[in-house]
Amino acid sequence: MGTVKPEVAVGCPRVLLRFLVALAGTVALLAVLAGTVGQAAAAAPSQEDETCLACHGTPGLSLTLPGGESVSVSVDSALLRQSVHGSALACATCHPDHTRYPHPPLIARTLRDYRVERSEVCKTCHSQQADEFAGSVHGRALVMGFPDVPTCTSCHGAHDVMRASSPAFRNNTPQLCGSCHGNPEIMARYGLRPVYEAYTREFHGVTTALYKLTKSYSPTPAAICYDCHGVHDIKDTEDPAAPVARRNILTTCRRCHPTAGRFFASAWTEHKTPGPDASPLVWYVQIFYRVLIPAVLGFLAVLTVLDLSRWAGDRLKGGRA
Amino acid sequence: MRRRHTGRAVQRFTLAQRIEHFLLIITFNVLAFTGLPQKYFFTGWAERIIRLMGGIETTRLIHRTFAVLLILQSLYHIGAVLAARRAGRERGAMSITFRDVRDVLLDVAYLAGLRREKPAFGRYDYRQKFEYWAVVWGTAIMAITGLIMWFPEFLARFFPGVLVPAARVAHGGEAILAVAAVIVWHFYNAHFRPEIFPMDPAMFTGQVEVERLRREHAEEYARLVEAGIVAPPEAEDVPEVETAPGPGASPPPPP
Repeated sequence: MGTVKPEVAVGCPRVLLRFLVALAGTVALLAVLAGTVGQAAAAAPSQEDETCLACHGTPGLSLTLPGGESVSVSVDSALLRQSVHGSALACATCHPDHTRYPHPPLIARTLRDYRVERSEVCKTCHSQQADEFAGSVHGRALVMGFPDVPTCTSCHGAHDVMRASSPAFRNNTPQLCGSCHGNPEIMARYGLRPVYEAYTREFHGVTTALYKLTKSYSPTPAAICYDCHGVHDIKDTEDPAAPVARRNILTTCRRCHPTAGRFFASAWTEHKTPGPDASPLVWYVQIFYRVLIPAVLGFLAVLTVLDLSRWAGDRLKGGRA
Repeated sequence: MRRRHTGRAVQRFTLAQRIEHFLLIITFNVLAFTGLPQKYFFTGWAERIIRLMGGIETTRLIHRTFAVLLILQSLYHIGAVLAARRAGRERGAMSITFRDVRDVLLDVAYLAGLRREKPAFGRYDYRQKFEYWAVVWGTAIMAITGLIMWFPEFLARFFPGVLVPAARVAHGGEAILAVAAVIVWHFYNAHFRPEIFPMDPAMFTGQVEVERLRREHAEEYARLVEAGIVAPPEAEDVPEVETAPGPGASPPPPP
């Protein structure tokens, strides 16, 4: 191909070039048109969904569960259409037994039960993620019946599911994990310490927050929760197989810092606020500056005030004389 | 030596020293402007500055570029001082001695009204020496901790990784100390002192009036008089003005 092109260009340049340009233009135009039409088709809900949305599109609809909790059954059709499932799934894909009206009664007694039950639906397509999750620290705790453990919708939402590979989802991940892992009450129930706040002050956390200011995605992003802890297969940090376990952590660091030296792992302060027991060197440096800064500035300020007052005193005396 | 000034003045800083100072103003301010928002990332003003500079990546690029400039400048300074020492042009006027401790105490006593006379300072008084060594100390700390944060992977080949978060704390603390000291100390001594307000021009003109030298650096004045560079006080009406060499200039010809 490469050898043909120059030959053609030499032989009959004008006509052929024009033809090629016209051809390319037509193709591009068709592609744009097709895209617009396709998008329009995706944006409009199907006939069946229209039927559901005729009721569920009304804001403020709710259902009282047997346990007494109230659950909203209104669906924002705009959010639904924008979601990653918007153009791929119909209402009945996830709510197959609700195609008839009146709908069959709910089995779940509580909101929590309802959400756990709903996550079974996700498994139909996302079986690999579901398997990973089942073996994770979250998945095992879920089976044990702990009330705070996340299910699919806790992180991904229900009708507003966002593409997990999108920059927005990535950027929001620390806050998402932090909604539990930054809550001391929830963490205390499981003998865990809240780590979110410490993360937001670490280099990775600060950089992630600052990247978001101007860019939705950076080619060199700073680590967020799942980069080190894993996604659906998150393990207990004490688990020797965890990517953040003491034996594995350097390998995990090197996924982003391939040239990291062998002592690199201790650069990470374990989401702890430095203190006598956590990265004491960092703590000593903090104390050093907490003493040095006011001491130096105080000394300089005293000298400045003395200098000014001597000048003022001399002037007053000079004025009287 | 050429006369640059019609008044009775002596040269205090060489052109090279003044250029160094001017460059330091630029690097220091750019580094503070691009660095402080990174320390105070959680504030609204920090966000606005980072946005203004096109994002954190650009902010860090600017910060590191000027950091390299400052490091190069510091290396030049060390070289210049060593060269001046070898050539015998450097008299160690900046070195801190026991006399400076005494000068501080005597000056405090004078300022507090306990003594009538201001101590006779040498070429540089304790305030200027303090500033100079604060810049040396500060630049050394900032350069070392900054390079640690810039190349943590390399550092961790030889040293414990915990130096990286420690360097981050030191870099921030030293930055606050430097900026605050410049505001409290340098701005006062070089700008807001009533005798010199709005600014001490010596670092830009390179010259200082003989009269001011006599008042503020009495010992240096006496030395210049003795060396014949400055006319003795009795002959003040003599219009002849000569400039005294700075540490970077050639020694004066014998009288």
